[in-house]
Amino acid sequence: MSSDSSSSISNDGSTDQNPNPSPTAKPLDFLQERLASIALTEPNGGAESPSDQEPQAGVSNGSFIEEIQEVVQNNQAAGSEAVVEEVSESFTHGVVWRDNSEHEVDAPSSPSSSGYAGERGSSSATSESGIGEGGEDEIREVRNDDSVDGVSDLQQSWVPGKRHVDEDDASISWRKRKKHFFILSNSGKPIYSRYGDEHKLAGFSATLQAIISFVENGGDRVQLVRAGKHQVVFLVKGPIYLVCISCTEEPYESLRSQLELIYGQMLLILTKSVNRCFEKNPKFDMTPLLGGTDVVFSSLIHSFNWSLVLSGAQKASLHPDDMLLLSNFVMSSESFRTSESFSPICLPRYNPMAFLYAYVHYLDVDTYLMLLTTKSDAFYHLKDCRLRIETVLLKSNVLSEVQRSLLDGGMRVEDLPVDTSPRSGILSAHLGQHKVPTESPETSREEYIGVGGPFGLWHFIYRSIYLDQYVSSEFSPPINSSRQQKRLYRAYQKLYASMHDRGVGPPHKTQFRRDENYVLLCWVTPEFELYAAFDPLADKALAIRTCNRVCQWVKDVENEIFLLGASPFSW
Amino acid sequence: MASRRRMLLKVIILGDSGVGKTSLMNQYVNRKFSNQYKATIGADFLTKEVQFEDRLFTLQIWDTAGQERFQSLGVAFYRGADCCVLVYDVNVMKSFDNLNNWREEFLIQASPSDPENFPFVVLGNKIDVDGGNSRVVSEKKAKAWCASKGNIPYFETSAKEGFNVEAAFQCIAKNALKNEPEEEIYLPDTIDVAGGGRQQRSSGCEC
Repeated sequence: MSSDSSSSISNDGSTDQNPNPSPTAKPLDFLQERLASIALTEPNGGAESPSDQEPQAGVSNGSFIEEIQEVVQNNQAAGSEAVVEEVSESFTHGVVWRDNSEHEVDAPSSPSSSGYAGERGSSSATSESGIGEGGEDEIREVRNDDSVDGVSDLQQSWVPGKRHVDEDDASISWRKRKKHFFILSNSGKPIYSRYGDEHKLAGFSATLQAIISFVENGGDRVQLVRAGKHQVVFLVKGPIYLVCISCTEEPYESLRSQLELIYGQMLLILTKSVNRCFEKNPKFDMTPLLGGTDVVFSSLIHSFNWSLVLSGAQKASLHPDDMLLLSNFVMSSESFRTSESFSPICLPRYNPMAFLYAYVHYLDVDTYLMLLTTKSDAFYHLKDCRLRIETVLLKSNVLSEVQRSLLDGGMRVEDLPVDTSPRSGILSAHLGQHKVPTESPETSREEYIGVGGPFGLWHFIYRSIYLDQYVSSEFSPPINSSRQQKRLYRAYQKLYASMHDRGVGPPHKTQFRRDENYVLLCWVTPEFELYAAFDPLADKALAIRTCNRVCQWVKDVENEIFLLGASPFSW
Repeated sequence: MASRRRMLLKVIILGDSGVGKTSLMNQYVNRKFSNQYKATIGADFLTKEVQFEDRLFTLQIWDTAGQERFQSLGVAFYRGADCCVLVYDVNVMKSFDNLNNWREEFLIQASPSDPENFPFVVLGNKIDVDGGNSRVVSEKKAKAWCASKGNIPYFETSAKEGFNVEAAFQCIAKNALKNEPEEEIYLPDTIDVAGGGRQQRSSGCEC
């Protein structure tokens, strides 16, 4: 599902005169409220079932140009803006971030995952498994030194940083990767590649540039090339070219918005001032400026499997995309964890040309405090602010509450209340009274079809349109492997695209879709959007009733899971 | 301070069709030669890692098609080139005469910041043919032209026999490197909130 920015663009002028110049001047109970209301969604680990076999994806060996089937052209919308004040704070805690894992090693001990052992020479190129559609982006590798698939801790098993640096475009393993991302300059010099060594891919990078500029020369713009199962998506941002080559069957719009985010991440690190370097010197080589940031990009790309529409209020002055990119930058860079840091950053949706400075300090393993300033010498001042904020957070037990919420997790389909009377009472991460004991999930489930929630409900995502925030249920059985989770997200992605397909008459309101994997139900109203996944055998009428109950449930606890109020992220 | 980082050099090879551009590149990159002529369509791209004065380079070689119908690709291909290699066939006068056009065309399309000093290298190829008996462009004539264009380095090569190819590309790398601009400190603006904050272009740093 693509990141939705349309409803969160602030109006020019109206938000310019913003009070509350500094975080210290701000009442801390406001911060507390904010913390208490953060919707915490943490991934739920689960064991992998190795039975997920699907036909192997085709590998295109032909050249792209020969297979051009479709060149789409349209005009590019301008980016949006937002407002930041002089010194501002942002307290992020997994709000926008689903740090789930994309596993290279799905089922290490499974004999069925013969996989492809690329670099080790013992390749079984005709392997019938391991490159599942809609499953992994990756080619599975059989390696013993990797951590075992997240039985207890999924976050451990995704190794950050660049992998497969030995590969280049001549490697079979490289060609089989399901989703490539490239950044290059308009002279064809490579800047970043998700897989493989950029320099070894210089020839490939030149080919991409040749395709783009060939079309550009004709006064046109190449947006998409379909080559068999592969989609090649292009995004031109001045002197920077971004390309995605994917056979994941994700909609074009999704891939394109992923490229936009990658570009945003690059701006966050360097600002748009890089354009000036290219104006001065077309030969300019950007790679040294991005030195050491491989992990930031790979972590962002990894997150595309899990991140959907992001939180942020409608009039938010910090755009959700900036929020995502900022938190990705902080959370993917190990050095932020080890010491308090002060780093120049750019918020591309606010002002892509200029730097702000971010003070980052981890309060504990999962929680960090970030303070933004325009003053490059404000480190000690912000350090003072942080100490004061930290003291208050500790005294008021907010930190331990946050920790507890993290452990408790978010909404679970198993907890969907049976009655629809409004829930009252104190904040609880387990929001229902009908919690099924996790140690005996099979019992007391007779009335349900399969596992999961009532009437075969497996998962849901609810997006409040007014708030421009979403909440999704925790992953419950049977959606417990990262593979199945990714597949579900892809299914949602398609559903979303089909519901928001512009140019095909009036917008759709509901959709009920049954295939061999799921029953998917989508309901779009002016107020909210609901996407729900059920057991493929779920009864239609019951599924609809269940969706109504989910909506009621979310409304009942809306105060606890969403950031309400005028604009929580404006300051 | 000389940086130890790897550098990528974009090298464009130009010249009439059939003078041996692709063969030179294949000899250099793959140490292979084929007598069969296969016209390049558009452009071919090859990379080669080179060590030079204990720095590691990647040469990104753009082997272009010599046929006139591909000339429209020019701007797109030439942008950001670090070095341009002009190739002619010592046995074909026309291919030598055309060097001037190729050079001019490149300078117009690539519009480098300092055209006078843009690094070119000229290669007179196919010196092996017929034991040199069919040669029509003398070394002297070629060198004179190179001298008149700002002392362009000149090499006589045989892609077939691998003669002088390595030396020519060493020179190409060296020249491309010589042209490397001094690195400036990357210093974007800082947001000026007082001035409205958004998207304004202030000049200079506020700190």
